[in-house]
Parts: sequence; C-alpha cells; structure tokens
Amino acid sequence: MASLTDKQGTGVAYQIPRNSLALLMVSQVVVILPLIVHISPWIVGVWAICGYWRTQVYRGRWGYAAGWVKTLMVIGSIVGIALSGYKSFSLEAATSLLVLAFSLKLVEMKNRRDAYLVIYLSYFLIATAFLFDQTIAVAAYELLAAVVVTAAMVGMNQLQTRVRPVASLWVAAGLIFQALPLTLVLFLLFPRVAPLWSIPLPSSVSTGISDRLTPGDVANLSQSDELAFRAVFDGEPPQQRDLYWRGLVYSEFAFGTWAIAEPLDPLPEQVDAPVGLSYEVFLEPTQSKWLFALDTPVSYAARLDLLADYRMVSPEPVLSVMRYRVTSDTGYLMDHELSPAMLARETQLWRDDNPRLREYARDLYARTGSVEGMIEAMHRRIREQDYSYTLSPPVLERVNSIDQFWFDTRRGFCTHYAGAMTYALRSVDIPARMVGGYQGGEFNPATGHLVVRQYDAHAWVEVWLPERGWTRYDPTAAVAPARIDRGLNAALSNEDRAALSFLASARMGEGGLVTGMLQFVDSLEHRWNLWVVGYDAAAQADVLKGMLGKVTPARIGIAMGIGGGASLLLVAAAILYRRRPQQRHPVERVFSGFCRAMARQGLPRQSGETPGAYVQRLAGRAQLDAEGLRTRLQALLYDPEATADRAARRQIRRELRKLRFMLAFRTAGNAS
Amino acid sequence: MQAATQPERAIFGKRFSAWLDRRIPPGRRITLSQSNIFIFPTRSGFTFGGLLAILILGAINYQNSLVYGVAFLLGSMFVVTILYTFRNLSGLSIELAEAHAGFVGEDIEFEVRVDRPKGRGREGIQIGWPEGFKQWVEIYETEADVVRLYVVADKRGWLRPGRLLVETYYPLGLLRAWTWVDISARGLVYPQPIFQDAPSNQASSQHRDDGVLIDPLGSDDFVDIREYVPGDPIKNILWRSYARSDEVVVKRYASYVEPRLIFDFDTLAGGTEEKLSRLTGLALQATRSEREFGLRLPNLEIPPGLGQVHLDNVLRALALYGIADR
Repeated sequence: MASLTDKQGTGVAYQIPRNSLALLMVSQVVVILPLIVHISPWIVGVWAICGYWRTQVYRGRWGYAAGWVKTLMVIGSIVGIALSGYKSFSLEAATSLLVLAFSLKLVEMKNRRDAYLVIYLSYFLIATAFLFDQTIAVAAYELLAAVVVTAAMVGMNQLQTRVRPVASLWVAAGLIFQALPLTLVLFLLFPRVAPLWSIPLPSSVSTGISDRLTPGDVANLSQSDELAFRAVFDGEPPQQRDLYWRGLVYSEFAFGTWAIAEPLDPLPEQVDAPVGLSYEVFLEPTQSKWLFALDTPVSYAARLDLLADYRMVSPEPVLSVMRYRVTSDTGYLMDHELSPAMLARETQLWRDDNPRLREYARDLYARTGSVEGMIEAMHRRIREQDYSYTLSPPVLERVNSIDQFWFDTRRGFCTHYAGAMTYALRSVDIPARMVGGYQGGEFNPATGHLVVRQYDAHAWVEVWLPERGWTRYDPTAAVAPARIDRGLNAALSNEDRAALSFLASARMGEGGLVTGMLQFVDSLEHRWNLWVVGYDAAAQADVLKGMLGKVTPARIGIAMGIGGGASLLLVAAAILYRRRPQQRHPVERVFSGFCRAMARQGLPRQSGETPGAYVQRLAGRAQLDAEGLRTRLQALLYDPEATADRAARRQIRRELRKLRFMLAFRTAGNAS
Repeated sequence: MQAATQPERAIFGKRFSAWLDRRIPPGRRITLSQSNIFIFPTRSGFTFGGLLAILILGAINYQNSLVYGVAFLLGSMFVVTILYTFRNLSGLSIELAEAHAGFVGEDIEFEVRVDRPKGRGREGIQIGWPEGFKQWVEIYETEADVVRLYVVADKRGWLRPGRLLVETYYPLGLLRAWTWVDISARGLVYPQPIFQDAPSNQASSQHRDDGVLIDPLGSDDFVDIREYVPGDPIKNILWRSYARSDEVVVKRYASYVEPRLIFDFDTLAGGTEEKLSRLTGLALQATRSEREFGLRLPNLEIPPGLGQVHLDNVLRALALYGIADR
C-alpha cells in the first residue's frame, strides 16, 4: 500500500500547486521578518535572490539551479557564516544557518516533499522567534504567521487547478482556532521538565545594569523606559523608599571603574522558617545570571543561589522572562562576623590614587571617631555644600576621578555619590562596597503589581558594622531625597527632564491619558507574563495543586484525558454536526411521537393505515369521540390554516396524550 | 458475497481481502462512515511528529513557555485534522454510474458517481483503482460529481477492477483517510478483433442463400412492370405504354444485395480465443460495410441483423463465450 500512497509526490510532472506556492513564498516573508534583526544582513540578501529566482522558475523564465550552482551557493553560505563573526554555537549563528538553509531550499523546491520541508522549517522559525522575544505582540504576530504557513500546507492538498489562497487561509484559520482549546489543556497540564542539556545562547549584549561601572565616562546617562521587571507582593507592599532591589555587588575599584570581584561560593543554606515579605518577580531577559531581590532574601527556589555577598543568581543566564518567588527579611543580619578573606576583599583598593579623598577620609574618620559619624559627616557635606544631582555630569579623568568629582565638579548621579563614599570608607579600612540594582518602581493601579524600569536603576553603599552587619547607606538620598521618596522624575532638573523621551516621561506620569493607556498595556503584559510566559514548572505545580488537590502522574493523566476529550468533543460537535435538513411539520412531529409511544404500548399503526383511521381505531377502543378526533387531526395535518392555530395544536396534543393514557390504563388493566 | 478479484489478491493478500469483504461488504452504492473509513498518518505526518518532538526538546532546554505553546498548537492541530480528514470522506456515497464496454487492450471507462450529503463541500479527494490513474474529486458547489476512471482490459469477459480506493489527504497532508469500496463495478470486455483481408471469404460464401435477395426499393436493375399505385415515383412510369393504352404502368427496379452472412465459430481455424477474435473482427467489418450478418456459436445463435444494437448483442455474446454471465 505504501507504494500507492506515494504516487502523489513522485509524479514526473508534479508541480507544487500555484496557490500553495504563493502562500509558501508569503509565509517565508512573514516568518523571516521578525528574525531579521538577529541575523546578518547579507543573509536577507541571499533570501531575496532565492525568492526572486523561485518566482522566475514559477513563471517559466528561469530553470531550477544546476547542481554546481547549488554546491557553490552552499559553500559560499558556509564561508559567509564563518566570516560573519558569530560566536560559535550562539543562537544567532544557529538561526542564521537555519534561515540560510531555508532560503537555499527555495531554489530547489520541486516536489511535494521539498515543499513540506520548507513548511516545517517555517514552523521551526516561528518557534525560534520566541527565543528572542516573548511579548504579546510577537505572539499575536506569530499566530498569524502560523495561519499563513498552515494555509500553504492546506493548499498542497486542495485541487491543483484552482487558485484561491483566501479559501486556504480560511481553512487554516479555522483549524488553528479549533486547535486552541486542546492547546490550552496541553499547555496547562503537560509536565514541564528541567533542561536536559546546555544550549546555544543568544549572544546579544546584556541589557540593563552592567557588571562594570565607570561613572566618570558617562556624560549623559540615557534613561531607558525599558522594563526591568515586575513584582507582585503577597501582602501590603513596602514604602517606595524601602524598595531597594539588590542585584550586583561591586567590590573592586581600579582606574575609575567599579567591578564585580571574583565569584564567590553560594551561602550554604536557607533559613528554615522564613518570616518576612513574600513576593514574586517576573524578570525580563537580561542575558545575565544576576537576579534582583529586596534585602535580605531568606527563602527562594532551590535552583537559585545566594552568593556570599548576598546577591542572588540564577544558574543559567536569563534568556526569557524568568519568574521566581522570594521571601525577604528586612531584619536579617548580613554577616555577623566578617572572615579575614572577606575583610581583605571589601577593604581592598588596588591603587594609591585619589590622594585628596584619602586625606579627607583619614581626617574625617579621626575627627568623628566612628563609622556612623563619618558617614553622617559626608552626608552633611553633600547636603550643605553645592552638590547637585544630574543625569548629564561632566566627564572625569580615569585616574583620580573620585577626587575630581568630590572636590571640583560636584555634579553627578547615584554612582558618583555611592562610589565616593565607598572609596572614602575603604581608604580608612572600613569594609564597604557599592551595590547596584533598582530603587523604587511604580505600582500599576490596574493589577496592583510593581513595575520597575531601567530608569529606576540605582547604586548605593553597604558598610559593614560590628553587631549590625552589612548596612545600607544611600548618599544619593542626601543630594536628591525626592529620587528615593518619589522616583526619578521628582529628582530631575528641568533640563534633564527635557532630555527624556516622550514615552519615558509619559511612563513617569506626565502624560495623562497616555499614562493611563500605558498602564493598561503594562497590566496586560503583566498578565501575559503571569499566565503564559512565566508558566513554568513551579507555577504549574501551584495550578495543578489547586485543580487536582494532589499532584500525581495518574491524576495529571486523568485530567489530560478529560480536558483533551472535552475540547475535542467541542470541536467534533462544531464540525461534524449537521443541521436537520428541514423543520418538520409541527403536528406531524406530535403525531409521530404518539405513534412511537403507542407502538411501545403494543398498538402500532398498521401499514397502509392513514393517521385518521389509526386515531379513529384507537379512540374507538378507548370509547372516546372517535369521529371528532379523526376530523380534528386530519384538519391539523393537512389544512395549513388549521395548522397555524396554536391553540388547536395544543388541544390535539392534549387529546392524543389523554388517548395514550387511557389505552395504557386499559391494556394494563387487561393484562392483570 | 463476491470473492475478491485477482489484482486485489495481489495487493492485499487473501486474508485481508476476506476481512475487507466482511468489514466493507460490496454493494451498488456505498456510503462512507466511521465503520469503513481508515485513518493513519502519512510519512509527512510522522515527520511532523518529529518536528513536534524537536520543538518540545527546545522548549525544555530553553525553558520557553511559548515554544511549548507552538508545539502544543501544532500537536492539537494534528489531532483536529483527524476530524477534518474524516469529515471530508464521511457521508459520501459512491456508486457506479456507467461502465462502457471496450476491447481487450483498450482502457475501459467507468463512470463513478460520488454524492455528498447536504452541508459542507468536499475537496481534495482522490479516487481510483490500484491499476489505473487516480482522479481528483471536488464537490463544492454541486452535490455530486462523476469521475471517469480507466482500467486497461487484459482479457475478454467481465472486467472487475475490484475494490475502489477512495482517499484524501485533506486538509494538511499529515493524515490519510482512505477506504476500499467494492461498488460491484464490472465492465464488458470484447475480444480483441482480428481483421482479415477479405471479409467475404469462404466462411461467408458457403452460407449464401439459394435465392437472390432483392431489395425492392433499390434502383440498380429493372425487374418487371406492374400497375401504377399512387406513390410510385413518376419517373418510373412507362409513358410509352400509357400512350398505347389507358393503363398506367410503372417499371420496377431492384438492387441485388450480397447474401446475408452467418459467421460460424466452428468453421474458423485456430484456438477458441483466436476464433472469437476473428469473429469479432468479422462482425465489426460487416457492420462497417453495412451488411447484415448473423452469428453462430456452439451454444447460441444470433439471427442476422444490422445496426449498433445487433452488434452489441453479438459482441457481448463473443465476450462472454464460455464465461458465466454473472
């Protein structure tokens, strides 16, 4: 039989149906479009050439590519990929290769199997797009792309002579729409598994906060309104001023640059019975491993690590929206004792630079006699002298940049102030470090979640104090208290604000209606992340627990069976149900029901007996008005005017029922 | 119940054939339903399954919910397709509309009628016998379609092409729904004609009648004269005789026709099949030259006659000679 089934694809004169070919070309465009930014431009060029070539083949002007041309193209493409400077095994390299293969296949797409290969690659590219971006907009776009690709597949199986891509599109749209209920069931119930092996990663530069900060180099801190993460608090959220989202710890300083020191081992264990603030974070992809949490995480998912400097990291880079639950205890004491190694690490200054600040720090420490006193003195100096907060500070020298800032320019943003304070403390051997992360955020009134954006990025200082452990100090609060209390917008000077993009200022609450709309979109995106993008093993376990009580494979199997069966029944009912050809005569329906009932009672209608004669016979048996019943029934059955009379129809129904009951009684009586 | 014919045995094997006969009994008109439609993934369907597996692996390794989503959507689509492909065949009625007779070596034409119930149109259906070409059926605006199928006739008698394959890959080509229906199709195959150089050779000359057959309405030769009857052609009136007497007399003409031919099985040389072929050739030639002829077979005799109906009778007798007409 196999040889018969394959007859379709192997015919010498097989032509991909024109309808399907057109849809295939369109679906290629649709599928490659969102990937264009991730692949080299020359690949797009190759694709355009191949597309043109195939069109010419279709028109009968050119032939298919000859063997040597194909070989040449493949070799050229491999060399091209090698020269494009991708990191080996990066996701971009893989995607480029895929798109290239996809394009080249176009010029030798002759038979049915080739067309199917192109279709399957299209589906694969749809999935690939989600590795780069998982927003609602992309998902909606790719759903439409799936309709187009599926339409191409439908076109492959329709009659070859007709050209009607629109009809194929409708069939495909219907198919996908009807597949959605089952998709939903699978999405909810299909067990989510931990990664099986390591994979090529997108090599795009990490976004957001960087692991190296050089405040002196920044002449104009760009204020991106890009989303950093969203957080949902279990209970009452804390005050804005207390929202210090700790992410990175900069323990090394050299040549004006703060950097993360060598990696540390994770802290051994979590607190057994955690108390504190519980919340869930939906972190946007950063392509880095660091995570953000409030001070101090005491309970978190087992797959996450808390390093010895109390920053939380993920085992692998965050490539798609990552969802994690944390409980933070604000009263937790970080590092009761400081090991000698840690002490050395957190007081280290690699070079004897910034002599004025060192001198100033020594003098200040000697004068105040305590760490707290010294910090307070620095804060006072910032408040009382002409220090100012700005996003466009003067550029500083590499060496002695902190001296230059603290004594001369006196203009800067958070890193300048935090850096100066950390340096001053370290220079008198007090353990101190700069911490980077986000401060504040805004609550979306629609869903109540906190939205933290890139412009909420912040840096502050942590100082180790005996008995108190690592303690947070924020010198920026001294220069711009509004920044901490009410967010960046409140702290901005007019010229800084003018430099903001329209969207950024709208997001900060300057746009009225626009702000409301943006908040609405944000709440949509949040729900999307909550229910779709962030639906991982942990979230699934929660949902299943709520749904099934106990999560066992058997219960999941049963739930899948029931859910899948129900959704399929729904579809089957929709597509297999055929409406009855014609509405039957109302009295005829009543009468045939009566006939069936009487047949069950053992008094069936004889063959050739008219309805009137039948009723007359039965009514005679029951000693009712046989003649009258016959006349009335016949009128109702055959006289359209009588049929239209609803009261008469009710009447005959009652009469027939009465006749039935009387005869039932009678036959029962006879039997006993 | 009719046993499976030869080609089917070759394809299915005896057992499966017997099972099919029980499962989908032969009939004049067969309506497709869940009891006689089979569905199985095609090779493309299995490849599609492979694609899904790769997507799920990717989703697991990238921990990407939306890649899971794509895989699930495609998987669900595959499942829904089962219903679609089933619906595309379900409810169709298939019957043989007409079978055209032909000669051995020719393509015998069968007209198969496919009716659909009210409701959705059907498309992408292929229909055909294993040894013939498949035809596309599309019943969209109309409610029935007639397809012409051709099967090569290899021997005389009844050509039973056996079970008819009805299949569809619609809508995605991932699944194939098919059935083998036996619509009791049979077409008559006449022996392959052998034409001889001289149609009126000794076989026919021996059967020349004693008297000469006269076509009284012919116009070749003068026969006699008789009294005028109204309606006789005026040019036949013998005017000279009319001048002599008052009698109106007309000349009568007649044509001589070759004597009626009787083609006799027993007088021909060769084996049975060769004889039948020769007789077929003779019958065709006689018909072409518009000469009456009769046929004499060992078991039956067809009196002389002329015309398409007569020829059909003769050819049918030749085709079925020695074969039970069932």
